Amino acid sequence: MKKIAKAALAAVLLVGTSLSAVAVERGGVMTYGRYADSLFLDPVLNDANVDIWILSNLYDTLLLPTDDGKGVQAGLATEWKVSDDGMSVNLTLRDGIQFSDGSPITPADVAWSLKRAANKDNGIWNFLVSSIDDVTTEGDKTVVLKLKHPDPAILAALTVFNTAILPQKVFEAAAGATDADKAKVFAEHPVSSGPFVLQSWDRGSTMKLVRNEHYWGKGEDGKPLPYLDGVTFEVLPDDATRILKLNSGEIDGAEFIPYSRVEELKSAGNLNMELFPSTRVQYVTMNARPQIKGKDNPLSNPKVRQAMNYAVNKDAIIAIVTHGVGKPLTSYMSSATPMHTGDKPLYAYDIEKAKSLMKEAGFEKGFDTSILVLAGNQDEIGIATALQQMWAELGIKLELQQVDNATRTQQYRDGVFTMREAAWTDDIADPNEITSYFVYSPTIDALHTGWKNEEADKLFDASQKEIDATKRAAQYARIQEIYNAEGPIVPLYETPYPVALSKKVHGFLQIPLGNNFFGRAWLDK
Amino acid sequence: MQNIGSGSLPLFSFVLRRILQMIPTVVFILVVTFVLVRLLPGDPASAMLGDRAIDADVERINASLGLDKPIPVQFLYFVKNVFTGDLGTSIALKLPVTTIIMQRLPVTLMLTLMAALLALILAVPLAFLAALKREQTADAVIRGTFQVGLSMPVFYVGILMLTVFGATLKWFPVGGYGDTFADRLYHLFLPALTLAFSFSAVLMRNLRSSIIGVINAEYVDFARAKGLRPRIIMTRHVLRNALISTVTLFGLQIGTLFGGAVITETVFAVPGAGRLMIDSIYGRDYPVLQGLTIALAVLVSLTFLATDIFQAWLDPRVAR
Repeated sequence: MKKIAKAALAAVLLVGTSLSAVAVERGGVMTYGRYADSLFLDPVLNDANVDIWILSNLYDTLLLPTDDGKGVQAGLATEWKVSDDGMSVNLTLRDGIQFSDGSPITPADVAWSLKRAANKDNGIWNFLVSSIDDVTTEGDKTVVLKLKHPDPAILAALTVFNTAILPQKVFEAAAGATDADKAKVFAEHPVSSGPFVLQSWDRGSTMKLVRNEHYWGKGEDGKPLPYLDGVTFEVLPDDATRILKLNSGEIDGAEFIPYSRVEELKSAGNLNMELFPSTRVQYVTMNARPQIKGKDNPLSNPKVRQAMNYAVNKDAIIAIVTHGVGKPLTSYMSSATPMHTGDKPLYAYDIEKAKSLMKEAGFEKGFDTSILVLAGNQDEIGIATALQQMWAELGIKLELQQVDNATRTQQYRDGVFTMREAAWTDDIADPNEITSYFVYSPTIDALHTGWKNEEADKLFDASQKEIDATKRAAQYARIQEIYNAEGPIVPLYETPYPVALSKKVHGFLQIPLGNNFFGRAWLDK
Repeated sequence: MQNIGSGSLPLFSFVLRRILQMIPTVVFILVVTFVLVRLLPGDPASAMLGDRAIDADVERINASLGLDKPIPVQFLYFVKNVFTGDLGTSIALKLPVTTIIMQRLPVTLMLTLMAALLALILAVPLAFLAALKREQTADAVIRGTFQVGLSMPVFYVGILMLTVFGATLKWFPVGGYGDTFADRLYHLFLPALTLAFSFSAVLMRNLRSSIIGVINAEYVDFARAKGLRPRIIMTRHVLRNALISTVTLFGLQIGTLFGGAVITETVFAVPGAGRLMIDSIYGRDYPVLQGLTIALAVLVSLTFLATDIFQAWLDPRVAR
């Protein structure tokens, strides 16, 4: 009987799978409400998530991230091989790949694009491919990356937006004397290697993408991807308006649903409230320098930082600010980041332990301190107000200083802030980016806090060249152990990406790195 | 009325005088904006690159923008460029500032114009009605309604309009901006009405009290005694004289309308200059901020000029 049941189940699953394959519908334009418009559609010279998160629809990379954002799969390259010594990577390009203008994507385009991405004078993302020494081509299908040193993250880097492949000839023919000037012209009418092409862009209002007729991807029905005829992005900065527009059926999806509305939209009959796993972490940064602007800084004492961590009831903050959508952090990096370790929340609330740590540190009566809060940002104000009350238990008087982002960034970069709230999202499916900023002091002084740990720095240096995956995982486990115990942050929570979609939308994906993929999205007719 | 013909020459020199007065105003605004944006903490590269920027990147980008030069030198470059019609390139959007302003400012202008028209259409007849039915039910209802309009925050009225007329009744789109001119007028109706709501309240209250004042004036009694028809009395004698202070108020409030447009544009997702201004302040996009301030300063000055001319036409004593 069991066998029959299993066979029946298998048959049902098979029929279900084939039915879903048949059920895919083609055509139509999906309208997606975004909280802000893009700024600059150049993969190498952009600086913001508003660009990064949609670039993959216009430009393909050699490798593509897997749906969970942790691995790699074939993109413009179908085969890839890292040499045994880790000093080179051989990649074979897919047969017959073309740009949206119908011209072939050649190894020369690939080599030029990767060299442009690795050029130190270009943009701020070149560090992700800083191990590339040279890129050469062999025949009409092979590209060879020569590395300065073994780079365990090189394959992950080849999925990142800045390594997207652009048509060299079209780019270089664009008007302008410098790379930056040419990029400005090219990005106005880009020639795509991804599933869509930019059709029109009414800044601050609407961006229209149409399908790239020359795209290599194949759908479940065996025909070329994408399924959609196009995607229209509507810029709807106000949360309430974005949701209203979705509810009234004028758009098919809306990003950044406020946490306070998630429960309500989950029960809406016409919508799917998606919570895509993300690498987004929310935390408070603490300046760990012995003195700030000539004044002694109690936060330089690791015991004080630990005490303040134990005094924060993260569950309460998660309930207040994220309405239960977030979950406590188990490491400084999100649980969606590869090589994350830790299975229990960091610094579970323990006020007695906090008080005794403060006593040990010599601050039994507390002290006065301050935090920079982004003016007008309700989440940040909510967190800061909760911290104010929680730390009052330790005698800490917290002053909230509301400032705009540029002012805050300036104080942060100058290292003269005391505390600030911050959020982070990975750009690469590897722990090296977040670790280089949070932990490794040479990058930006560990989040501009002045915190430094020799062992963690050495481990990071070693991990950047360690191609043995097990050894590298062990290095990262130790780095996390050190940082989570005495690092200069209060880890608060990690949150998914809240996206509300009309029930007629299928196949849309936002990966943990934030990239929105419309290439396999389709609409019910 | 007879004064209008003989007043055309003073009117001409009055207009010329006012135009000449605009020049120092705009120059003053130019200098103040240039200096003030640079006194704000934070620089464009830091604002643009965000928290992850490393020092070398920030320095490289600030240098490429010419921001490593002393402020007086930057100012000289700026003035030279302004006189050649070049307002620079946006740091964030990588487009010429003139292109961006030409895209975004007309949207705000259209919105403001529609709002002003709607406000007039609402305010003038209702002010008359309220004044003529003074202290009666109609007056109380009109004043009460406008009081509500005046006291409700713009964003709240906006969301309310979107919910009722957009999402529920589906008479209008829920925000956004259309493709064709007619479509855009359709899209802009609700945001314009939202702006007009509080604007018309101010105008209505002012006009109502002016009308009440004028109706009781001796020259109106005289006109009645002359046997003029009530309609003539109302339009030629009452409205014309009552409008004088309202026109001044109207002109002054246009500047406020631009301010209100910032919120309305956000709520209704209208890609206007208000939102651009906010984005460029947060992003420390100096060239856009400067260009937009100049454009708005000229516009507001022109509005004041138009107000003054209209006022001089209504009351020729003003031009003397």
